[in-house]
Amino acid sequence: MGSGIGLEGAITSISRGGYGCISSDFQKVMVNTRKGKGLVEELRRIQKKAKSDAYKRLLNTMIENIISNTDIVKTLKNQGGREEEKRTEKVEKYIEELSGLPETLLSIGMISPIILAILAITPQMMAGAGDIMPLPDADAVGSIVNGGLFVTVVMMAMIGMKAHTKDPGL
Amino acid sequence: MLFYFFEVLNDHPLMLLLLNVGLAGLGGALPPIIERARRRGLENSLPEVLEGLSDSIGAGQGLQQAIKKVSESRSDLFGKLLRETLDVSAVTSFDAALADFAMKTRSKQIQRVINLLSTAEENDAPIQEILFRSSLEYEKLNDLVNKRENDLLGQAILIIMFISVGLPALIAFIVGLFAPESSGYAVDEVNSAMVHFFGAASGVAVMVSGRMLGRARDYLWLVPLWMFASMAVYKFGYIMII
Repeated sequence: MGSGIGLEGAITSISRGGYGCISSDFQKVMVNTRKGKGLVEELRRIQKKAKSDAYKRLLNTMIENIISNTDIVKTLKNQGGREEEKRTEKVEKYIEELSGLPETLLSIGMISPIILAILAITPQMMAGAGDIMPLPDADAVGSIVNGGLFVTVVMMAMIGMKAHTKDPGL
Repeated sequence: MLFYFFEVLNDHPLMLLLLNVGLAGLGGALPPIIERARRRGLENSLPEVLEGLSDSIGAGQGLQQAIKKVSESRSDLFGKLLRETLDVSAVTSFDAALADFAMKTRSKQIQRVINLLSTAEENDAPIQEILFRSSLEYEKLNDLVNKRENDLLGQAILIIMFISVGLPALIAFIVGLFAPESSGYAVDEVNSAMVHFFGAASGVAVMVSGRMLGRARDYLWLVPLWMFASMAVYKFGYIMII
């Protein structure tokens, strides 16, 4: 737009692809616009569906530009700068949050099998002590060990989920 | 030794299956690694190329001349692709040659820049300024991508090595030392449970590492092989200790 093309031209350019879901959204906008629907109406439709605040703000700026002829280039530059700062912060925070992940996974992955391995051979180690204290049934111990190991894997996966849920999307 | 290895594997069909699937998976794991290295190489060169183009255009040259100058000064893949683009432009239009170049790079970043350049050129926009601004923006973006890669790669490798190699070796050592079969302990069930546990834990570790680097899909190919490695380290570690 800085080079002089209009908003519709810019939308067409982005709709050609390469910008993820924004490209597919804009492609639908252009298809519907060609069918006779209003550009503002279409942008509002996407805005309602959008989940990201930054994307909603971008669409709002575009709508305002069409309705009130505001200085869209300046506003978009400011928005872009702000989002860029946020993205940098997000990446740094992500790296920081994942810094202790190997140790956490190793701690859980190590402590649990050690305890469960000892528990599994306890009935055999304590076989002679059956007269003075009650010993758990070997099958019951086997079930506890298997269940414990399964829970450990689930816990490790849940801790590892942090790497997915907090991904900054670079 | 080798026959003994196969003998043990023969008793564990799951390990045998994982080994075969894992070895076959290497065929799927290697191309994305090579492709990514190629693409990142091109993307890391992009800011420098854009700055070079901006300087040449600022000196009064046209876009085509600027590309020629930059291509001659670079001996890397970017320079080679730019030279090919100029050769293609001799037999077709310059715009088509640029589009062909964008396709050959297989990089979204570069395709966006080419799209921007074509739009700017069509509208007689100040290309020098656009190129210079783009070079700064892409430099920042690449720095961020490289920072994520460099900072998290070590941790991702650490997770895989800890969980898939270190942990089974350690537990095999503990179990083998304190509960050897030779002392009358019946540890077959425990070992079987542990082997499956390490296989699953290793799969989780590889997927977490891949996700950390934003390459979960590429790492998926390596999951069976690492699962097998982890199970084998425990199994053979225990046999060696007893």
